Amino acid sequence: MSEPAVNFENVSFTYPGAEFPALEHVSLRVEQGERLGVLGPNGGGKSTLLKLALGLLSLQSGRVTLFGLAPQEARRRGMIGYVPQRAELELAMPLSVWQVVEVAATWRRAPWSRAADARERVREALLLAGADELKEKAVGELSGGQLQRVLIARALVVRPRMLVLDEPMVGIDAVGQERFAQLLDRIHRERGITMLTVTHDVRAIVAGSDRVACLARRLHSHTSPEGLTPRVLAEVFSHDIAGVGGALRGTHIHAHGPEEHCPDVHETGAGGPAPGACGHVCGHDHGPHEASTKRDDHPASGGGA
Amino acid sequence: MRTIEYLSIPELAEMYFQAALAGLAVVTLCGVLSVFVVVKRLGFVGQGVSHAALGGVGVAAIVAAFGLIPGDGTSAAGLWQWAIVTAFCVLSAVGIAAAGDRRALPFDTAIGMFLVGSMALGAILVQIGRETATSRGQSGMTQSWESILFGSIMGTGLGDVALAWGACIGVLLVLWGVRRPLLFWGFDSATSRAFGVPASGVKYALMVLLAVAVVTAMRLTGVILATALLVLPGATALRLTGRLWPSIGFSVGSGVLALLAGLVLSIETDWQAGPSVVVVQCVLFVAACVAGWLKGRMVTGKGPIIRA
Repeated sequence: MSEPAVNFENVSFTYPGAEFPALEHVSLRVEQGERLGVLGPNGGGKSTLLKLALGLLSLQSGRVTLFGLAPQEARRRGMIGYVPQRAELELAMPLSVWQVVEVAATWRRAPWSRAADARERVREALLLAGADELKEKAVGELSGGQLQRVLIARALVVRPRMLVLDEPMVGIDAVGQERFAQLLDRIHRERGITMLTVTHDVRAIVAGSDRVACLARRLHSHTSPEGLTPRVLAEVFSHDIAGVGGALRGTHIHAHGPEEHCPDVHETGAGGPAPGACGHVCGHDHGPHEASTKRDDHPASGGGA
Repeated sequence: MRTIEYLSIPELAEMYFQAALAGLAVVTLCGVLSVFVVVKRLGFVGQGVSHAALGGVGVAAIVAAFGLIPGDGTSAAGLWQWAIVTAFCVLSAVGIAAAGDRRALPFDTAIGMFLVGSMALGAILVQIGRETATSRGQSGMTQSWESILFGSIMGTGLGDVALAWGACIGVLLVLWGVRRPLLFWGFDSATSRAFGVPASGVKYALMVLLAVAVVTAMRLTGVILATALLVLPGATALRLTGRLWPSIGFSVGSGVLALLAGLVLSIETDWQAGPSVVVVQCVLFVAACVAGWLKGRMVTGKGPIIRA
């Protein structure tokens, strides 16, 4: 039997000085070739889980392995392709798309290795990510959806066995999200790459996962994307993360039924998203039967594809 | 034109060409680094490190007062002082980066503390050094505060030219060696570690290179204006292009143009050379803003297309 792609065994983690643990007794297994989505509210431990999986945080208790190896070793062997959130990119850096992907392929290339091999890998990754026509563009000129494809290409250029995606749909409009989901589907179909997606956006999970783990400090449930019922969503997103009097107290969850429209204001076209398909967790302080009039947190808003 | 008359006198021409030669090394070095300084918002680091140099000047003054290094105006004295100031600046740059890394202090607070602390230390040590030198019958450090603050490029000797080109070539070789991890980190420092890039090592390397560049630039423009050579060329270039090699080319090119035009301006007007170079560089930046805006209008019908 092959090793699981990701294996968390009873992992807990508390940041220094924090009153509550970020993760508590989390056990999680992702089989090779599987697409797992980890869904949870902000502050629910998603980023901590991801950093532990990438070996960027030191483990405090429990055990984490990737393909049977320590995360640092798996990373060193180029088995992991990481697609980060776009918020911290320096878009003023005067680099072309080709250079961004090439640098990931070549930064530790031995002087005696063939430059042609690296070029071939870059070309292949750009084609697979559907970013080949962008290769001459400066990164500062790209739209949100285009930039996301470039980050996918950068992750693919190391020929990883697993892609780790952090909030992949944030800042992409509805059309771009659809295209992006199709792209992930195609990559998974063609390469059989394991995918671990971490997000608070239900649509990203529905579009790109075979299985969903709901995380709010602890793992609450494993389900299929279709199993994300309003009750499950309400349970995960109303979890009191910070303990008594937590950050989500007083917020209203749009756990509306499948035939109801989300009461919030949508920008994705007339009438908003399909009934029951919203997944928007509203942070505005209003009663459960009132519609929010603000739209700043809505995941559908953002740049073009 | 006064410049032609000036250059027709062999002694003055020699002084001018030596200043230009040293200046070319400095603007080349700073021009390449400037792109990274602007993109990574490290301009204030340059300011902090250049002012930290005053602490190094103070240490050099004390060492000279005790006769451990020459304190007169010879090349050997200048070399010793340069080495001590460089070491002090490198340590300050590493200290600033470490304070920022450990989040013991906000990054700008760490820079500010190193800046004012080093200046105060430098002022006290220079005073003590002069008093000690007088009491011991030593010459002590003879460099004026004005030359430290505003530079003295027209007094550049062949030793200074060699030193500037040595620093320039050394820094450029290191930059070439680390260019790939540096570019990765420069574009996406948060993620670079996940790809195995030694992000902290790259950051510290850049800080050390910045410190060397600042100390070298100080001889041209002085402490006060050294940052200008690390900020303005890159800012100018990034108004014109979003491409790597063209931006480095524009950055170095604008530095060279500002240097030569600034030296001519200095001769024509009898202004100090360092500030004259910086004034020209500022004019070039404004011109680049206008050119970038016009280019954006032509391409997109809107404003500038570069996000820098």
